[in-house]
Amino acid sequence: MIGNTPWTQRLLTAAGFFGLAFLTVPLLIVIPMSFSSARALTFPPPGLSLRWYEAFFGDSRWMEAMATSASVAAISSVAALVLGGLAVYGLRRGNFIGRGPAEGNFMAPLIVPTIITAIALYLGLAKVGLLGSFLGLVVAHTILNVPLVIMVLGVAIREFDQRIEQVAWSLGASWTYTMRKVVLPNLAPSVFAAWIFAFIGSFDEVIVTSFIAGKYETVPKKMFNELILEVNPTITAVATLLIAFTVLALAAVAFILGRAGKLKQTLV
Amino acid sequence: MRGQGFGFIAPLLVLMFVAFNAPIVYMLGLAFWEKGRGFTLQHYEGLLDAPVYLRVLGNTMRVALVATLANVVIGYPLALWMRGLSNRGRMIALSLVVLPFWVSILVRTYAWIVVLGNGGLVNRALQWSGLTDAPVSFLYNELGVTIGMANVLLPFLVLPLFAAMIRIDDRLLQAAASLGAPPRTIFWKVFFPLTLPALAAGTLLVFILCLGFYVTPAILGGGRVPMISNLLDTLINQIPRWETAAAISTILLIVTLLIFAAYRRLDRKASA
Repeated sequence: MIGNTPWTQRLLTAAGFFGLAFLTVPLLIVIPMSFSSARALTFPPPGLSLRWYEAFFGDSRWMEAMATSASVAAISSVAALVLGGLAVYGLRRGNFIGRGPAEGNFMAPLIVPTIITAIALYLGLAKVGLLGSFLGLVVAHTILNVPLVIMVLGVAIREFDQRIEQVAWSLGASWTYTMRKVVLPNLAPSVFAAWIFAFIGSFDEVIVTSFIAGKYETVPKKMFNELILEVNPTITAVATLLIAFTVLALAAVAFILGRAGKLKQTLV
Repeated sequence: MRGQGFGFIAPLLVLMFVAFNAPIVYMLGLAFWEKGRGFTLQHYEGLLDAPVYLRVLGNTMRVALVATLANVVIGYPLALWMRGLSNRGRMIALSLVVLPFWVSILVRTYAWIVVLGNGGLVNRALQWSGLTDAPVSFLYNELGVTIGMANVLLPFLVLPLFAAMIRIDDRLLQAAASLGAPPRTIFWKVFFPLTLPALAAGTLLVFILCLGFYVTPAILGGGRVPMISNLLDTLINQIPRWETAAAISTILLIVTLLIFAAYRRLDRKASA
């Protein structure tokens, strides 16, 4: 129907391939460059080596940043999952007044430009003396990831037939028992997806972290600071590891959701 | 029974009030309040006096507009092409759009340094094809920042646009064709108007995100293309002028929320 004359069809195909290439080629170029033996970023690489991976794994500051990133992401993603999951359950199933504004408030960190959240948190944390503290960092990451959890679980809870829960209630199950035995097992694939998204979100967060983390270094913060100063090929190895990590995490999500037949609703 | 379920949202509500709403309100307070004098607009008067602020605002607007436009020019044909693919082709294309969306913005920005640098893929290709003799400098100028931002934000436009396009019933287009409309007319009179709300909503979303962009201009601009957020960074971290930073943040916040309200109206229309 659209573009059914041969040359418009060909033009459209070319435009489509260009769009996909524009999105993916830069990432695909980074991967071979990380195995380059040269210091300069020339493409194609003159020779192959693992020296940039050795530089990364052999540097205690990078390893420390990795540990900080992983622990902040682990704690804040679980906190966002629990708090956001409970909240979105209440929003979808409850009938109290003010659900709309409450949901708007929970989604706000996604809409307010991150730089403004960063500045507000910087000023606020400085005021209460928590600037540069681990607690401040974890709380900030939790807040930033709550919207992701609410989006993913919001769809899942709406599509889960409420009558199944009502049957459990009417048979005398307590709400904790219903949660544990009825709601959670049915939502498990979406809960897993939400947790992965929150974990990636926290692991990759750079703006707020750069403002409030103080002496704590995370992988993105260190990467950002190095990129501002000079381009160091070690970054290419870090970037490749991060791409691999994202691909694996998303593949796990796709696998779990695909098995539950829920992949399509989460993708679009 | 009214009022049921509030207990579920209470913990998160408390956290949001303490750790998000209160800091934002405190920031607004800094912008409009002077110790001992009360309400004041003096931090805003200072903004108008210094030409640097207006220059940064101009930079931000220009880069945001061009990057948004580039998004439309690349994103609309991409979504349209994806709509015409088979189910399997759609899944593959969709994965290739979603995957970069989840890759760290730092990695995606850094990838452009590798691709656009003097010895990078693009300059190698340009020199090999004989289009230029000397490397073209794409990095550390407005061009590089614009390319990087357009790239990072493209999925935000393509995903909702594609979702709107696959909701359009093929029978509408067949009806137009059976009434004798040529393909061009079918596209401009039937298909395009149906995608317009989603296109407008996506465009506004991308524009909002452009206005507050921080990482890409900082890295690909090399400090030579200051945008609002980089100015804010300077005002907080280098020359501490918190009140001025708070005043500029307040303006950016209000502009963002206004555009977001328009986006919400369009988005509801697009998904209705």
